[in-house]
Formats: sequence, structure tokens, C-alpha cells
Amino acid sequence: MEMGTILKTLQDPMGIPFYPVVFQALMVLTFALHIMFVNFTLGTSFLSVYGYLKGGENWTRLSRSLAKATTVNISMAMLLGVAPLLFVQVVYDPFWYASNTLSAAWVMGFIFIMMLGYSLTYVFYLKRDHKTGGGFAIFGIIAFALFLLSGIIMHALGYQLLQPEKWLNWYIKGNTVDTSGTSLHAFQLPRFLHFIIPSFAMTGIFLMLYAWYFKNRADFDKGYLEWVGKTGAKMAFIFTAIQAVVGFWWLFSLPAGFSFFTNPFFLIGAALGIVLLVFLYNAQKDPVKYAVPGVLGAFLTIFGMSYAREALRMKYLGRFDYSIFNYKLNIDWGSTALFLSTFVMGLLIIGYLLAVAYKSGRTSGEYVATPSMNKWGKISIALLLCWIGIVAGLGIIISVRNYL
Amino acid sequence: MYPIWEVPNLTAGIILALIATFHILPSHFSTSAMWFNVYVETKAYRENRPELLEFIKRYSLLLLVFSYVLGSLSGIGIWYAATVANPRGISGLIHNYVWGWATEWVFFIIEVTGIFIYYYTLGKVDKKTHLKIGWIFAIGSWTTMVIIVGILSFMLSPGKWPETGNFFDGFFNQTYWSQLLMRTTLMFGISAAYAIAVATRIKNEDVKAFITKTASKWGIAGIILGSILLLWYLKTLPARPHELISILAPKTLKTGMIVTAGLLILYFIYAGMKPLSIRLIPAILAIVVIFGGIWSTERIREMIRKPYVISQYMYSNQIIGKAIPAKAVAAEANVINEKGILKVAPFVPEGLKEVNDANALQAGKMIARIECLSCHTLNERGLRPMPQMVKRLEFKKEVEKAKEVEEIEAFLDGLGGYPYMPPFMGTPAEKMALATYLDSLAIIK
Ligand code: HEC
Ligand code: HEM
Repeated sequence: MEMGTILKTLQDPMGIPFYPVVFQALMVLTFALHIMFVNFTLGTSFLSVYGYLKGGENWTRLSRSLAKATTVNISMAMLLGVAPLLFVQVVYDPFWYASNTLSAAWVMGFIFIMMLGYSLTYVFYLKRDHKTGGGFAIFGIIAFALFLLSGIIMHALGYQLLQPEKWLNWYIKGNTVDTSGTSLHAFQLPRFLHFIIPSFAMTGIFLMLYAWYFKNRADFDKGYLEWVGKTGAKMAFIFTAIQAVVGFWWLFSLPAGFSFFTNPFFLIGAALGIVLLVFLYNAQKDPVKYAVPGVLGAFLTIFGMSYAREALRMKYLGRFDYSIFNYKLNIDWGSTALFLSTFVMGLLIIGYLLAVAYKSGRTSGEYVATPSMNKWGKISIALLLCWIGIVAGLGIIISVRNYL
Repeated sequence: MYPIWEVPNLTAGIILALIATFHILPSHFSTSAMWFNVYVETKAYRENRPELLEFIKRYSLLLLVFSYVLGSLSGIGIWYAATVANPRGISGLIHNYVWGWATEWVFFIIEVTGIFIYYYTLGKVDKKTHLKIGWIFAIGSWTTMVIIVGILSFMLSPGKWPETGNFFDGFFNQTYWSQLLMRTTLMFGISAAYAIAVATRIKNEDVKAFITKTASKWGIAGIILGSILLLWYLKTLPARPHELISILAPKTLKTGMIVTAGLLILYFIYAGMKPLSIRLIPAILAIVVIFGGIWSTERIREMIRKPYVISQYMYSNQIIGKAIPAKAVAAEANVINEKGILKVAPFVPEGLKEVNDANALQAGKMIARIECLSCHTLNERGLRPMPQMVKRLEFKKEVEKAKEVEEIEAFLDGLGGYPYMPPFMGTPAEKMALATYLDSLAIIK
């Protein structure tokens, strides 16, 4: 069979319940958020170990904060990884499942590697009071190495997916098949680095945010915060510059036939990157002032780059006449409405939670909610109860109609 | 049909089952723990007993680390395991229920941000605000159960979905309510067992006694109500799985469930009477007992879904058994019987696409991998090992090999007659190849 035909037959016969462009947009957006927190995770995990080993008052203090931040960042990275995991399987199912089953043992290994890495992160954060020796850093070091390994697996799966022409060779050996799933078959260094190097740039911006966020807290030393901000701004600039170089390396290693350098998505992404670099250069003088626009600008760049990554995928898979826009449709308005309304409601509620966290973190003592915050909280709870009421009502109506 | 992952002796399906079972401990804990927490926290504020907050702190740290490190990852692990064990099955679910899962994901974000903020702001924000966060978490995380039960129960009892193809017809199927209520009550039993374990680590005897006593009441109520609802759940099961319970479920599993419930009730009663005497080890043992009970139930649920992975639609071996006209999905038996499974499945060596005398054995093994591996290992040991299965049929040794093969072919013709196995699908030549392979297994010893 022709690979193009195989891919068509592999597509799920159910079709998809809404227009592919919506799934694609959600996938790219959530992937951008995912990779941003992956970057925060790798960077804060690395720096927390570095600071711990380096010692000194500032680094020790920063190391503790970053170890705590890693536990939150990794949770967010996972959380935000779930959504693209879902959407990629909706529109790219033939590729996703083939790539995963070909390396099945690694796919399962990934879960255990993450569990171990995450647990060690907690050990490194929670248990540091009792142990002070340099040997204790080993927990943080192993955790970082495991996260990096997770990234290698993710990358290999994502890159295998783009090369259907090689799948049969990887799987079939003469008249028999390799069902062990123990090999990773593809790895592209510049692509991988393009997702990993930003960890240090983003963590630089993270430090700028840290300096900005705590600037009004009386219990934070001014000199310390200034040092954190400056260190962050320097890191952010240097690694963004390195990232630009890696980006071009990747670009030149792509198949020439793609002419990707004229692709509008790529051009927008690259332009955003250059603007960010200039912006970060200016940020050196006053990192605190540039922190919030800095993180917004960085996210915008990541978002642009994520669309470029998706455009690149369309190039790779276009070679087999595969386009998500030809996917069979079985539009389901009911469940689409369920998600969209829940999503909007969710943003309101998550907004409340984050607002409480934000305000309490900026207050030295106990934070007492203002009346408007209290109202927001009450509305959040009411919304949740309404949601349950509506869904249960719908369920009862359907059950009565179908079974009574 | 995607590439196949073979796990020697175990099958990929068992890996999935192990992770899924493990996941129940943290996930049911996460949906129920906060109810216990807000109850205790409210009491602490109303009766001015700040010492109770020590329990809150520890219990939520356990929740944070256990449920949101091991729990979320094992949840993702179930998904990954399903991906590599049964890609077409998970794909079928996702292509129907993607918005369901996306909705679940929204609540997942609420949960995770909620627990972090709940834990880290304890004592740092005013009481009312902190309780609000607790409530948001408690309701939000129970809602994840409201959603996932719809998808889980759909796999076993798809309701009117095979006719209408409608999302909500499958979601609110005939076992939805009984399963939701059963899990909801049982989860309180689970959170109670965890609460007692945490209480054993608390020095203050008043706090310890109060928590243990409260938990013992929650536990007894949860287990008793849960067991009653389990009976209701069994009644709501469609006829076919019902029949399979009596055929397939080993007695040990059933007794396992009853013994578990009995032991737990005794444990909770004892904990209520002598709250200070419970130590950490027995408290953990109680959680292990729960694990055993859940393992039994989940194994039974898994067994009675046979021969389907998605009931009334897709067989366990990923072949679409029944058409869903509402979604313009055709069944695959005709195409496979006409063209051959080795031709229809793309990931098959070129040299095996056409069966002949020389490659019959290899082709047969390939067919077994595609059509039988989801339920039988091809090794000597493990999950329903094929060699033992074939031996059990006691085909007689014949002078002529062809005669043996013929007998096995006759058995394959009747495969679909077993209530728990899908029919054999393929051309006559492929049937011969599979029979040759099965014959070779029976001879080895
Ligand atoms: C949906 C799961 C499933 C699939 C797929 C499946 N089987 Fe089975 N099979 C079972 C179960 C369950 C049993 C009963 C095991 C027991 O009694 O311990 C069984 C039993 C058997 C037996 C013993 C029968 C007897 O009467 O004791 C044979 C032989 C067998 N299977 C062969 C096959 C072959 C060949 C295939 C592939 C074409 C296959 N099975 C596919 C689930 C399956
Ligand atoms: C610290 C752990 C992790 C790291 C370092 C990491 C890293 C990465 C990297 C580098 C990529 C891009 C790969 C490429 O395109 O070449 C990626 C993609 C992705 N990751 Fe992660 N990841 C981590 C955890 C997770 C988790 C837990 C999930 C699931 C919940 C997840 C889901 C995804 C998804 C769905 C994609 C996109 C796949 C695609 O669009 O092709 N990741 N990750």
C-alpha cells in the first residue's frame, strides 16, 4: 500500500466532532503554554541545583525559592501538556499512534521517569532543612536529568511522527516484526535544542518577575531582589541570543524542498524573536520595570513559534497529501457547547484562585479579602453548583427519555 | 491497525490494568479528601479549635503530593498505556468524547491550581477566603468524577449511542447514575482511611481522636452505602456483561470484594471505639485492603466488557465489529474476510501478505498477534497463555498434520460462539495459517 493511502485508512472512521481549525488552534495555544512551563521547569530545576551548590547567601536563598517553584512549574507543565495530548490525537491520530506504538516501552517509561523526577523534586524542596551537605544536591541533579530525558522522549516521539516513510523500516525486520517498542528511532539535535535552550532564557524572565513580584514585600531584602533581577535579565538576553542561532541552525537543517524560510508563520515567529531580543537588551537597565511586558512578549514569541512548528508539521505531512482540513466531520454541537461554556466558566474560577494567590503572596502578613474578591469567590462557587445542576438536569431528562 | 506492542508474559493490557488500578487510590482520594477537609476546617473555625489545622496541613500535603504527583501522572499513564496497548480503542473514545475530556481538563486545572493555593495559603489568607478555595476544590474535583464516569461507563454499556451516535446518549447510559453514586459513596470510605493514616502521625491526642472518630463514621457510611449501590449497579448492567460475570469472574474475585467490605467495616468500627490505638502500619494496611477490593472490582469490570473494548462497537483486538450508521462507520468483518487481515492491516511484512506453505507459520503468528494478543500472551506463561489454551482443547495427535490443522480450523470457525471472544476474521488461507501456528504451539511440549 501507498503511505498516503495507509494514512487515510488509519484515520479514525468516527470523524471529528467539530471543525479541524478549532482543534488545531487549541492544540497550538495549549502547546505553547505547555512548552513555556516545560522551560520554566527545566530552568528553575537547573538553577535551584546550581544555586545550592554555589552557596552564598543570595544563591542559597534563591535556590530554595526556585526548588519550590519547580514543584509548581512541573505541575503546570503536565497540566498544560494534557490538552495538546488530547487535541493532537484528534487531528493527527495516524501519526501519533504509529509513533507511540513504535516506541511503546519508552512511552511507558516516560511516565515512570516523570514520577521519579517529580518525587525527587519534592525531596529536594521539602527535605533540605535537615541535610546541608553538597551531596544532597544529587536529588536535584537526578530530577533535572530525568526531566531532560523526558524531553528527549517527547522530542523523539514528535519527530518520528513526521516521518511516515520510515515507519515500516523501523518496525519490520524481514518476515517478522519488532514488537518490543524499546527503540527511539529519530532525534534531531537542533530541533531538540530549540525547545530546551529557551529554558534558560525563560527562567531569566522568571527571575525578573520574581524581583518585580516581591518588590513591595518588607521581608525581602532590596539588594537581594536587585541581584535576582539583574541576573535574570542577563540570562534572558544571553540565552535568547543563543536561541536565535540555534533557530537558524534548525532552519538550515530542514529539507530544502520545504523552503521554510519563506513561510509566513516562520517569518512572524522569527520577527517576534528578534523584537524580544532587542527588548531584553533594553531590559538590562531596569529588569523590574520590564518584567511583566517581558513575560508577555516572550509568550507571544513562543506562541508564534508554536504556530511555525505546526506549519512545519503541515509541510512534512503534506508530502503524503495529508491535511487535517480534509478530516471527516460528524459535527456535534451539544458537546462542543458543553466544552466552550465550561472553558469560559473555568477561566473565571481559575482567575479567582490565581487572584487570591497573587494577592496573598504580595502581602507580608495575613491577606484579608476585599468585598469584591469575596463576591468573585461566591460567584465561582455558585457557577460550579449551577454547572452541576444543569448537567444533572440534562442527564435526568435524557435518562427518562431513553429508559423510562 | 497500528504497530503492536508485545509485553512478554504480561500483555500490554495488563500494564494498563496495573496502572489503572494504582490510579484509583490517588484519584478517588483527590475527589473526596477535600470534603473531609472543609468539614474539619469549618469545625476548627466555628468551635475555635486551631489545633485541628495541623491535621489540615498534613492531610492537604498528602493530597498535594500523592494525588497531584503520582495521581495525575498515573492518570496520564492510563492514557499512554491505552495508547500503546489499544490505539484504535482510545482513538474511538477520543473521537467521540474529545469535548468531554476537554471539559474534564478544565476542572483538572481548577483542581491543581486549587490544591496548590489551598496548601500554600493556609494561615496566610483570611479564614473565609481559605474555606472558599476549599469548596471550589471539593466541588470541582468531584465534577471530574461526574464527567469521567460518563466515559468509563459508556465503554461497557453504551446505552442508545449505537443507534443515535449522540454524545449524551452514550454519556448518560443505563449504568451512569448507579456507577456515579456508587463511586461517590465509596470515595468517602477511601478518604476516611487516608484520614486515619494521617491522624496516626499527629501528636495532639485530642486532634487524633477527633479525626479518627469522624473518619470512622464517614468510613462506615461510605462502605455500607457503596456496597448497597454496588448491588444496584450490578442490576443496571446490560444482559451480556451480566452473563459474563457468572461465566468469567473467578470466585476468588467475588469473595475478595465481600471480604474487603467486611474487613473495612470492622476496621472503621474499631477505629471509632479506640481511636488512639490505631498505628500507622495497620492504617496503611487498611488502604492496601481497599486497593485489593478495587482491584477485584476493576478486573471484573474489565472482564465483562469482553469481547469488546467499546461495547457494541469495537472488539478488544481493535477490529470494528458493529457498524454505527449514525456516524457513517462501517463494520470491518466483510472487508477482512474478503481481502484478508494481513492485507488490510498496514504494518505487516510484505512477505506475509500472501499466505503460502512456506510462510504459513510466520503468517499465522502475525495473525495471532493482531487478533488474539489483546487477551492471550503467546508465551508459555502469563495472561491466558495461548499454548495452554490450545492444549486445553485436547486436539488429538494425528498421523497427518493437515488433519490436525483442519480440526483447529473448525475450532476457529466457532470462535465467535464463545461469549467472550470475537470471531476469527480473515480468508480461508489465513485461517489455515493461524491454525498451523496454533498447532505448533500445542506440540512444543
Ligand atoms: C476479547 C478477548 C479475547 C480475544 C481477542 C481472544 N480470546 Fe481466546 N479466550 C478469551 C477468554 C476470556 C478465554 C477463556 C479463558 C479461560 O477460560 O480461562 C479464551 C479462551 C480461549 C481458548 C480456550 C477455549 C476453551 O474452550 O477453553 C482458546 C483456544 C482461545 N481462546 C484462542 C483464541 C484465539 C486463537 C484468538 C484469536 C483469533 C483468541 N482466542 C482471541 C478471550 C479472548
Ligand atoms: C518535564 C517534562 C517534559 C518535558 C521536558 C517535555 C518536553 C517537550 C518537548 C521538548 C516537546 C516538543 C517536541 C518536539 O516537537 O520536537 C514536547 C511536546 C509535547 N509534550 Fe511535553 N514535556 C514534558 C512533559 C509532558 C507531559 C507530562 C505531557 C502530557 C501530559 C506532555 C505532552 C506533550 C505534548 C502533547 C506535546 C506535543 C506533541 C506534538 O504536538 O507533536 N509533555 N514536550
